[in-house]
Amino acid sequence: MEFTLLGSVLVAAGSLYAGLWLMGRRDPAICVRDLWDLALAGAIAGLVAGRLVAMVKGGVNPLTHPTDFILLRAGVDTVGATIGALAAVTFLQRHRLPGLLDQLAAAALVGMGGWHAGCLVRGTCLGTPSDLPWTWAVEGSSISRHPVEIYAALAFWSAAYFVFRWRNKPWLAASLGLAVAGLIRLVVFPLQVSLHSGVVWWYLSAAAVGLMVASYTARPLSEWRNW
Amino acid sequence: MTNTTPARFRAGIRATTFASMLALVLVACGPGGNPSAVPMLPEIDPVGMQEILAVSEKPVVVNVWASWCIPCRSEAPLLREAHAQFGNRVTFIGIDISDSQNNARAFLDEFGLTGFDHYFDPSGSVPAVLGGNGVPLTFFYAPGGELVELHFGVIDERALAFNLDEIMRRS
Repeated sequence: MEFTLLGSVLVAAGSLYAGLWLMGRRDPAICVRDLWDLALAGAIAGLVAGRLVAMVKGGVNPLTHPTDFILLRAGVDTVGATIGALAAVTFLQRHRLPGLLDQLAAAALVGMGGWHAGCLVRGTCLGTPSDLPWTWAVEGSSISRHPVEIYAALAFWSAAYFVFRWRNKPWLAASLGLAVAGLIRLVVFPLQVSLHSGVVWWYLSAAAVGLMVASYTARPLSEWRNW
Repeated sequence: MTNTTPARFRAGIRATTFASMLALVLVACGPGGNPSAVPMLPEIDPVGMQEILAVSEKPVVVNVWASWCIPCRSEAPLLREAHAQFGNRVTFIGIDISDSQNNARAFLDEFGLTGFDHYFDPSGSVPAVLGGNGVPLTFFYAPGGELVELHFGVIDERALAFNLDEIMRRS
Protein backbone atom coordinates (compact mmCIF):
# COMPACT_ATOMS: atom_id res chain seq x y z
CA MET A 1 0.00 0.00 0.00
CA GLU A 2 1.46 3.32 -0.95
CA PHE A 3 1.40 6.18 1.49
CA THR A 4 -1.03 8.19 -0.59
CA LEU A 5 -3.60 5.42 -0.40
CA LEU A 6 -2.91 4.97 3.30
CA GLY A 7 -3.57 8.68 3.75
CA SER A 8 -6.90 8.28 2.05
CA VAL A 9 -7.80 5.38 4.34
CA LEU A 10 -6.88 7.47 7.37
CA VAL A 11 -9.09 10.36 6.22
CA ALA A 12 -11.98 7.89 5.80
CA ALA A 13 -11.39 6.37 9.25
CA GLY A 14 -11.12 9.82 10.83
CA SER A 15 -14.35 10.89 9.18
CA LEU A 16 -16.11 7.76 10.38
CA TYR A 17 -14.97 8.36 13.94
CA ALA A 18 -15.97 12.01 13.74
CA GLY A 19 -19.40 10.96 12.52
CA LEU A 20 -19.80 8.50 15.39
CA TRP A 21 -18.58 11.06 17.90
CA LEU A 22 -21.04 13.70 16.66
CA MET A 23 -23.88 11.17 16.75
CA GLY A 24 -22.89 10.12 20.26
CA ARG A 25 -23.11 13.73 21.42
CA ARG A 26 -26.60 14.13 19.97
CA ASP A 27 -27.92 10.76 21.11
CA PRO A 28 -26.73 9.32 24.47
CA ALA A 29 -28.14 5.88 23.52
CA ILE A 30 -25.38 5.49 20.97
CA CYS A 31 -22.27 3.76 22.29
CA VAL A 32 -19.53 5.23 20.15
CA ARG A 33 -16.85 2.77 21.27
CA ASP A 34 -18.88 -0.33 20.37
CA LEU A 35 -19.95 1.09 17.02
CA TRP A 36 -16.37 2.07 16.22
CA ASP A 37 -15.15 -1.47 16.93
CA LEU A 38 -17.93 -2.91 14.82
CA ALA A 39 -17.26 -0.49 11.97
CA LEU A 40 -13.58 -1.40 12.02
CA ALA A 41 -14.41 -5.12 11.93
CA GLY A 42 -16.74 -4.51 9.00
CA ALA A 43 -14.15 -2.41 7.19
CA ILE A 44 -11.45 -5.05 7.61
CA ALA A 45 -13.78 -7.84 6.46
CA GLY A 46 -14.82 -5.69 3.51
CA LEU A 47 -11.22 -5.01 2.58
CA VAL A 48 -10.36 -8.72 2.69
CA ALA A 49 -13.41 -9.77 0.68
CA GLY A 50 -13.00 -6.94 -1.82
CA ARG A 51 -9.34 -7.67 -2.40
CA LEU A 52 -9.94 -11.41 -2.82
CA VAL A 53 -12.73 -10.80 -5.33
CA ALA A 54 -10.54 -8.33 -7.24
CA MET A 55 -7.71 -10.87 -7.37
CA VAL A 56 -9.93 -13.67 -8.62
CA LYS A 57 -11.60 -11.41 -11.21
CA GLY A 58 -8.16 -10.28 -12.38
CA GLY A 59 -6.92 -13.83 -12.83
CA VAL A 60 -4.55 -13.84 -9.82
CA ASN A 61 -4.80 -17.06 -7.84
CA PRO A 62 -4.95 -16.25 -4.08
CA LEU A 63 -3.65 -19.72 -3.13
CA THR A 64 -0.64 -19.83 -5.41
CA HIS A 65 0.18 -16.14 -4.97
CA PRO A 66 -0.98 -15.22 -1.44
CA THR A 67 1.47 -12.32 -1.12
CA ASP A 68 -0.37 -10.49 -3.91
CA PHE A 69 -3.12 -9.94 -1.38
CA ILE A 70 -1.31 -7.04 0.29
CA LEU A 71 -1.27 -5.00 -2.92
CA LEU A 72 -4.48 -3.19 -2.16
CA ARG A 73 -3.66 -0.48 -4.66
CA ALA A 74 -3.97 -3.01 -7.46
CA GLY A 75 -7.68 -3.26 -6.78
CA VAL A 76 -10.39 -3.81 -4.18
CA ASP A 77 -13.70 -4.84 -5.67
CA THR A 78 -16.38 -2.42 -4.47
CA VAL A 79 -19.22 -4.89 -4.59
CA GLY A 80 -17.21 -7.65 -2.91
CA ALA A 81 -16.11 -5.25 -0.20
CA THR A 82 -19.65 -4.05 0.46
CA ILE A 83 -21.01 -7.57 0.70
CA GLY A 84 -18.10 -8.66 2.90
CA ALA A 85 -18.54 -5.74 5.28
CA LEU A 86 -22.28 -6.20 5.54
CA ALA A 87 -21.90 -9.95 6.06
CA ALA A 88 -19.37 -9.42 8.85
CA VAL A 89 -21.50 -6.84 10.64
CA THR A 90 -24.59 -9.01 10.24
CA PHE A 91 -22.81 -12.07 11.62
CA LEU A 92 -21.20 -10.29 14.55
CA GLN A 93 -24.36 -8.46 15.62
CA ARG A 94 -27.14 -10.71 14.37
CA HIS A 95 -29.03 -10.51 17.69
CA ARG A 96 -29.59 -6.77 17.56
CA LEU A 97 -29.07 -5.94 13.94
CA PRO A 98 -31.86 -3.49 12.98
CA GLY A 99 -31.13 -0.86 15.62
CA LEU A 100 -27.43 -1.21 15.15
CA LEU A 101 -27.49 -0.68 11.40
CA ASP A 102 -29.66 2.38 11.92
CA GLN A 103 -27.08 3.76 14.33
CA LEU A 104 -24.23 3.00 11.95
CA ALA A 105 -25.85 4.30 8.76
CA ALA A 106 -25.15 8.01 9.11
CA ALA A 107 -21.61 7.45 10.39
CA ALA A 108 -20.92 5.09 7.51
CA LEU A 109 -21.98 7.82 5.08
CA VAL A 110 -19.63 10.27 6.81
CA GLY A 111 -16.84 7.71 6.46
CA MET A 112 -17.59 7.20 2.76
CA GLY A 113 -17.46 10.95 2.30
CA GLY A 114 -14.08 10.90 3.99
CA TRP A 115 -12.88 8.21 1.61
CA HIS A 116 -13.78 10.41 -1.35
CA ALA A 117 -12.28 13.51 0.29
CA GLY A 118 -9.08 11.49 0.69
CA CYS A 119 -8.52 12.19 -3.00
CA LEU A 120 -6.89 15.42 -1.83
CA VAL A 121 -4.15 13.26 -0.29
CA ARG A 122 -3.91 10.88 -3.25
CA GLY A 123 -4.21 13.56 -5.94
CA THR A 124 -7.10 11.75 -7.63
CA CYS A 125 -9.96 14.22 -7.28
CA LEU A 126 -10.49 14.98 -10.95
CA GLY A 127 -12.87 13.33 -13.38
CA THR A 128 -14.24 14.15 -16.80
CA PRO A 129 -13.35 17.43 -18.57
CA SER A 130 -15.55 20.47 -18.08
CA ASP A 131 -15.48 24.24 -18.67
CA LEU A 132 -17.39 25.09 -15.49
CA PRO A 133 -15.70 27.82 -13.43
CA TRP A 134 -14.89 25.68 -10.39
CA THR A 135 -13.13 22.94 -12.34
CA TRP A 136 -9.36 22.66 -12.47
CA ALA A 137 -6.56 20.84 -14.29
CA VAL A 138 -3.64 18.74 -13.12
CA GLU A 139 -0.22 20.36 -13.16
CA GLY A 140 1.15 20.69 -16.68
CA SER A 141 -2.23 20.14 -18.33
CA SER A 142 -4.70 22.56 -19.86
CA ILE A 143 -7.66 20.21 -19.53
CA SER A 144 -9.97 21.39 -16.73
CA ARG A 145 -11.91 18.63 -15.06
CA HIS A 146 -14.73 18.11 -12.57
CA PRO A 147 -13.48 17.65 -8.99
CA VAL A 148 -15.83 14.70 -8.90
CA GLU A 149 -14.50 13.16 -5.69
CA ILE A 150 -15.17 16.43 -3.87
CA TYR A 151 -18.74 16.39 -5.21
CA ALA A 152 -19.13 12.86 -3.84
CA ALA A 153 -17.67 13.77 -0.44
CA LEU A 154 -19.99 16.75 -0.04
CA ALA A 155 -22.99 14.69 -1.14
CA PHE A 156 -22.21 11.90 1.35
CA TRP A 157 -21.73 14.34 4.22
CA SER A 158 -24.97 16.18 3.42
CA ALA A 159 -26.84 12.89 3.15
CA ALA A 160 -25.46 11.74 6.52
CA TYR A 161 -27.12 14.67 8.25
CA PHE A 162 -30.55 13.78 6.88
CA VAL A 163 -30.17 10.05 7.45
CA PHE A 164 -29.20 10.71 11.07
CA ARG A 165 -32.45 12.61 11.58
CA TRP A 166 -34.54 9.82 10.01
CA ARG A 167 -33.92 7.02 12.46
CA ASN A 168 -37.21 7.04 14.32
CA LYS A 169 -38.20 3.61 12.96
CA PRO A 170 -36.30 0.35 12.71
CA TRP A 171 -34.53 -0.09 9.38
CA LEU A 172 -35.42 3.41 8.17
CA ALA A 173 -32.00 5.04 8.57
CA ALA A 174 -30.19 1.91 7.38
CA SER A 175 -32.30 1.55 4.24
CA LEU A 176 -32.13 5.26 3.50
CA GLY A 177 -28.37 5.15 3.94
CA LEU A 178 -28.13 2.30 1.45
CA ALA A 179 -30.37 4.11 -1.03
CA VAL A 180 -28.49 7.38 -0.71
CA ALA A 181 -25.09 5.69 -1.06
CA GLY A 182 -26.27 3.92 -4.22
CA LEU A 183 -27.78 7.09 -5.67
CA ILE A 184 -24.70 9.22 -5.00
CA ARG A 185 -22.42 6.64 -6.59
CA LEU A 186 -24.83 6.38 -9.49
CA VAL A 187 -24.74 10.13 -10.07
CA VAL A 188 -20.99 10.67 -9.70
CA PHE A 189 -19.94 7.57 -11.62
CA PRO A 190 -20.43 9.11 -15.09
CA LEU A 191 -18.20 12.02 -14.02
CA GLN A 192 -15.36 9.73 -12.95
CA VAL A 193 -12.69 8.53 -15.35
CA SER A 194 -12.77 4.76 -15.00
CA LEU A 195 -12.02 1.54 -16.82
CA HIS A 196 -15.06 -0.14 -15.33
CA SER A 197 -18.69 0.09 -16.32
CA GLY A 198 -20.65 -2.78 -14.75
CA VAL A 199 -20.78 -1.38 -11.23
CA VAL A 200 -23.59 0.99 -12.21
CA TRP A 201 -26.06 -1.87 -11.98
CA TRP A 202 -24.99 -2.57 -8.41
CA TYR A 203 -25.45 1.06 -7.44
CA LEU A 204 -28.86 1.07 -9.08
CA SER A 205 -29.82 -2.13 -7.25
CA ALA A 206 -28.66 -0.75 -3.89
CA ALA A 207 -30.63 2.44 -4.44
CA ALA A 208 -33.76 0.53 -5.46
CA VAL A 209 -33.63 -1.92 -2.54
CA GLY A 210 -32.89 0.87 -0.08
CA LEU A 211 -35.74 3.02 -1.34
CA MET A 212 -38.20 0.11 -1.30
CA VAL A 213 -37.36 -0.83 2.30
CA ALA A 214 -37.36 2.81 3.36
CA SER A 215 -40.76 3.52 1.86
CA TYR A 216 -42.16 0.38 3.48
CA THR A 217 -40.82 1.21 6.94
CA ALA A 218 -41.75 4.89 6.71
CA ARG A 219 -45.46 4.26 6.33
CA PRO A 220 -47.96 5.81 6.94
CA LEU A 221 -47.44 8.78 4.69
CA SER A 222 -48.67 11.18 7.37
CA GLU A 223 -45.41 10.68 9.17
CA TRP A 224 -43.55 11.98 6.16
CA ARG A 225 -45.59 15.19 6.33
CA ASN A 226 -44.94 15.65 10.05
CA TRP A 227 -41.19 15.37 9.69
CA MET B 1 -21.89 -6.81 22.39
CA THR B 2 -21.79 -9.47 25.10
CA ASN B 3 -24.79 -11.65 24.27
CA THR B 4 -22.97 -13.94 21.84
CA THR B 5 -23.41 -17.63 22.62
CA PRO B 6 -19.89 -19.14 22.64
CA ALA B 7 -20.93 -22.52 21.18
CA ARG B 8 -22.97 -20.97 18.38
CA PHE B 9 -20.22 -18.46 17.76
CA ARG B 10 -17.61 -21.19 17.40
CA ALA B 11 -19.90 -23.16 15.10
CA GLY B 12 -20.38 -20.07 12.97
CA ILE B 13 -16.64 -19.45 12.80
CA ARG B 14 -16.04 -23.09 11.77
CA ALA B 15 -18.71 -22.91 9.07
CA THR B 16 -17.36 -19.60 7.77
CA THR B 17 -13.79 -20.91 7.73
CA PHE B 18 -14.82 -24.08 5.90
CA ALA B 19 -16.84 -22.14 3.33
CA SER B 20 -13.94 -19.70 2.79
CA MET B 21 -11.42 -22.49 2.28
CA LEU B 22 -13.76 -24.31 -0.09
CA ALA B 23 -14.24 -21.13 -2.10
CA LEU B 24 -10.49 -20.54 -2.26
CA VAL B 25 -9.86 -24.09 -3.47
CA LEU B 26 -12.55 -23.72 -6.12
CA VAL B 27 -11.14 -20.47 -7.45
CA ALA B 28 -7.60 -21.83 -7.35
CA CYS B 29 -8.18 -24.32 -10.13
CA GLY B 30 -6.92 -22.01 -12.88
CA PRO B 31 -3.89 -23.21 -14.86
CA GLY B 32 -0.50 -21.44 -14.74
CA GLY B 33 1.12 -19.83 -17.75
CA ASN B 34 2.53 -21.84 -20.64
CA PRO B 35 5.72 -20.25 -22.04
CA SER B 36 5.54 -22.13 -25.33
CA ALA B 37 2.20 -20.49 -26.09
CA VAL B 38 3.93 -17.10 -26.45
CA PRO B 39 6.66 -16.29 -29.02
CA MET B 40 10.13 -15.23 -27.88
CA LEU B 41 10.26 -11.59 -26.86
CA PRO B 42 12.48 -9.42 -29.09
CA GLU B 43 15.32 -7.64 -27.31
CA ILE B 44 15.37 -3.88 -27.22
CA ASP B 45 17.86 -1.20 -26.19
CA PRO B 46 17.27 2.43 -25.18
CA VAL B 47 17.90 3.77 -28.69
CA GLY B 48 15.36 1.39 -30.19
CA MET B 49 12.79 2.37 -27.59
CA GLN B 50 13.29 6.08 -28.19
CA GLU B 51 12.86 5.55 -31.91
CA ILE B 52 9.55 3.78 -31.36
CA LEU B 53 8.33 6.65 -29.19
CA ALA B 54 9.53 9.36 -31.59
CA VAL B 55 7.69 7.97 -34.61
CA SER B 56 4.49 7.02 -32.79
CA GLU B 57 1.43 8.79 -34.16
CA LYS B 58 -0.68 7.60 -31.25
CA PRO B 59 -0.21 8.12 -27.51
CA VAL B 60 1.93 5.41 -25.95
CA VAL B 61 1.79 3.62 -22.59
CA VAL B 62 5.02 1.86 -21.65
CA ASN B 63 4.76 -0.56 -18.76
CA VAL B 64 7.98 -1.89 -17.25
CA TRP B 65 7.48 -5.28 -15.63
CA ALA B 66 9.13 -8.56 -14.66
CA SER B 67 7.71 -11.99 -13.95
CA TRP B 68 9.35 -12.05 -10.49
CA CYS B 69 7.79 -8.71 -9.53
CA ILE B 70 4.79 -9.26 -7.27
CA PRO B 71 3.19 -5.84 -7.84
CA CYS B 72 3.43 -6.47 -11.59
CA ARG B 73 1.20 -9.50 -11.18
CA SER B 74 -1.48 -7.37 -9.59
CA GLU B 75 -1.49 -4.60 -12.17
CA ALA B 76 -1.38 -7.00 -15.13
CA PRO B 77 -5.19 -7.50 -15.21
CA LEU B 78 -5.69 -3.74 -15.26
CA LEU B 79 -3.34 -3.34 -18.21
CA ARG B 80 -5.11 -6.14 -20.08
CA GLU B 81 -8.46 -4.43 -19.45
CA ALA B 82 -7.10 -1.02 -20.46
CA HIS B 83 -5.67 -2.44 -23.67
CA ALA B 84 -8.95 -4.15 -24.49
CA GLN B 85 -10.76 -0.81 -24.13
CA PHE B 86 -8.27 1.65 -25.58
CA GLY B 87 -5.92 -0.46 -27.67
CA ASN B 88 -7.23 1.07 -30.89
CA ARG B 89 -6.43 4.62 -29.73
CA VAL B 90 -3.33 4.09 -27.60
CA THR B 91 -0.21 1.99 -28.26
CA PHE B 92 0.62 -0.27 -25.32
CA ILE B 93 4.20 -1.53 -24.93
CA GLY B 94 5.58 -3.83 -22.26
CA ILE B 95 9.27 -3.90 -21.29
CA ASP B 96 10.32 -7.01 -19.40
CA ILE B 97 13.50 -6.31 -17.46
CA SER B 98 16.05 -8.48 -15.66
CA ASP B 99 14.12 -11.63 -16.38
CA SER B 100 14.32 -14.93 -18.28
CA GLN B 101 12.48 -15.52 -21.54
CA ASN B 102 10.66 -18.58 -20.22
CA ASN B 103 9.38 -16.91 -17.07
CA ALA B 104 8.40 -13.80 -19.00
CA ARG B 105 6.44 -15.75 -21.60
CA ALA B 106 4.70 -17.83 -18.92
CA PHE B 107 3.71 -14.58 -17.21
CA LEU B 108 2.25 -13.15 -20.41
CA ASP B 109 0.29 -16.33 -21.06
CA GLU B 110 -1.00 -16.54 -17.49
CA PHE B 111 -2.43 -13.03 -17.59
CA GLY B 112 -3.48 -12.98 -21.23
CA LEU B 113 -1.23 -10.00 -21.89
CA THR B 114 -0.45 -11.12 -25.41
CA GLY B 115 -2.61 -8.48 -27.06
CA PHE B 116 0.19 -5.91 -27.33
CA ASP B 117 3.95 -5.83 -27.96
CA HIS B 118 6.44 -6.76 -25.25
CA TYR B 119 10.21 -6.37 -25.44
CA PHE B 120 12.98 -8.08 -23.53
CA ASP B 121 15.52 -5.91 -21.73
CA PRO B 122 17.74 -8.21 -19.63
CA SER B 123 20.01 -5.38 -18.48
CA GLY B 124 17.18 -3.04 -17.46
CA SER B 125 18.79 -0.15 -19.34
CA VAL B 126 15.65 1.04 -21.16
CA PRO B 127 13.68 2.34 -18.15
CA ALA B 128 16.85 3.89 -16.72
CA VAL B 129 17.37 5.93 -19.89
CA LEU B 130 13.67 6.85 -20.06
CA GLY B 131 13.94 8.28 -16.56
CA GLY B 132 12.66 5.62 -14.21
CA ASN B 133 14.09 3.25 -11.63
CA GLY B 134 12.68 0.04 -10.20
CA VAL B 135 9.73 -2.04 -11.28
CA PRO B 136 6.87 -1.71 -12.02
CA LEU B 137 6.87 1.62 -13.83
CA THR B 138 4.29 3.04 -16.20
CA PHE B 139 5.20 5.83 -18.63
CA PHE B 140 2.50 7.80 -20.45
CA TYR B 141 3.57 9.52 -23.67
CA ALA B 142 1.81 11.91 -26.00
CA PRO B 143 2.25 11.25 -29.76
CA GLY B 144 5.81 12.02 -30.77
CA GLY B 145 7.31 10.85 -27.51
CA GLU B 146 6.59 13.71 -25.08
CA LEU B 147 6.50 12.25 -21.56
CA VAL B 148 3.24 13.26 -19.87
CA GLU B 149 3.38 11.17 -16.71
CA LEU B 150 5.64 8.63 -15.07
CA HIS B 151 3.95 6.48 -12.45
CA PHE B 152 6.27 4.73 -10.00
CA GLY B 153 5.13 1.48 -8.41
CA VAL B 154 1.95 -0.50 -8.89
CA ILE B 155 -0.69 1.55 -10.67
CA ASP B 156 -4.33 1.57 -9.63
CA GLU B 157 -7.37 1.64 -11.86
CA ARG B 158 -8.08 5.33 -11.26
CA ALA B 159 -4.55 6.52 -12.04
CA LEU B 160 -4.35 4.34 -15.14
CA ALA B 161 -7.72 5.50 -16.48
CA PHE B 162 -7.00 9.15 -15.70
CA ASN B 163 -3.59 9.21 -17.37
CA LEU B 164 -4.92 7.35 -20.41
CA ASP B 165 -7.63 9.99 -20.69
CA GLU B 166 -5.03 12.77 -20.45
CA ILE B 167 -2.77 11.44 -23.19
CA MET B 168 -5.71 10.65 -25.47
CA ARG B 169 -7.11 14.16 -25.10
CA ARG B 170 -3.73 15.79 -25.67
CA SER B 171 -3.23 14.01 -28.98
